[in-house]
Amino acid sequence: MLMPKKVKYRKQQRGRTAGKAWRGNELAFGDYGLKVLEPGWITDRQIEAARVAMTRFIKRGGKIQIRLFPDKPVTKKPAETRMGKGKGAPDHWVAVVRPGKILFEMEGVTHGDAFEAMRLASHKLPLRTTFVERETAARGARGSET
Amino acid sequence: MATATENNILQAQPRTVGNKNDARRIRSSGKIPAVVYGAGKEARPVSVDPRQVARILDSESGHNTIFDLALDGEHTKAMIIDWQYEPIKGALLHIDLKRIAMDQKLHVHVPIVLKGEAEGVKQQGGILEQLTREVAVECLPSDIPTSIEVDVRHLVFGKVLRISDLPPYARVAVLSDPNQPVAHIISVKEEAPPTPEAAAAEAAAAPAEPEVIKKGKQETAEEGTEEASAEKPEKAEKKEKEKK
Repeated sequence: MLMPKKVKYRKQQRGRTAGKAWRGNELAFGDYGLKVLEPGWITDRQIEAARVAMTRFIKRGGKIQIRLFPDKPVTKKPAETRMGKGKGAPDHWVAVVRPGKILFEMEGVTHGDAFEAMRLASHKLPLRTTFVERETAARGARGSET
Repeated sequence: MATATENNILQAQPRTVGNKNDARRIRSSGKIPAVVYGAGKEARPVSVDPRQVARILDSESGHNTIFDLALDGEHTKAMIIDWQYEPIKGALLHIDLKRIAMDQKLHVHVPIVLKGEAEGVKQQGGILEQLTREVAVECLPSDIPTSIEVDVRHLVFGKVLRISDLPPYARVAVLSDPNQPVAHIISVKEEAPPTPEAAAAEAAAAPAEPEVIKKGKQETAEEGTEEASAEKPEKAEKKEKEKK
């Protein structure tokens, strides 16, 4: 599971996810990508599940790039605990995403395989996404929505 | 050689410089804000039709297209230097236009197109990875190539296609680093489905929490605590005196 090696502080406040992804919104490495259309958090488990779904589908046919990293700790209080007594212990890690962010990129596969792999990956994610390719990536989310 | 010059005309209307609200009003009226500069003249804010701009950007020569910019009844040669898209729907937000002198050389980025199926992909089962997609060149505006095509049929494992391997074009000087890699063949290992034992071992090996970076030096922190503890009895004594 993805997580930082070193952190400055163990716990963080929740923050806001307002606005759009003004950076990381274009394909940088691959020919195909998965672009998110909603703001939200994507957990380390969801990223790993999406990656595994894509890798198993394309087998050894292509290369996958992960363009997001879960660097925000989320804390959780133990079950059946009364409120108060401080913030809970770190439980898992999330990546904060804003609409327009490219989550995954892929190359070395056909358009059909990339679309199907991204469709399978999108089912592991909690947010609406769309498939983008190099011709349409620069023009935004013109691809069919998954 | 296919050149990028086309007989497109981009109509531009002058606008007054304003804040982002003014820019938004221009966009809601169906135009987009733009700026024209270059050729030793002062920069001028204008507004243009995004459909005309999109037609230029989507053309074969793309952003290297040289067109006529019609502004205040004058036609000047110009090209699109920079453009911004809205990240979700992909609408054009703003463009930078540069006046072009047809007799002066200019620096442009030309796309690299890989042609053919590489031997490393066809016979060795690798994946063709393109690392560089554009190359910086210097040439006259009339000599800008639409794209630089490279044959990659002979590319195998261990060989790297570099900028120096690109075919030479007449009257076009390449500015990019000649050693910069353009494409190579990579292999990707197939991921085996994880066994329960391997998953358990991986979970045990992974640290539960990352290391927390400590602030400052350890010694200074200790000194600080000592000083603080030394100050405390003095303050307590003062308070007792005040009470008396």
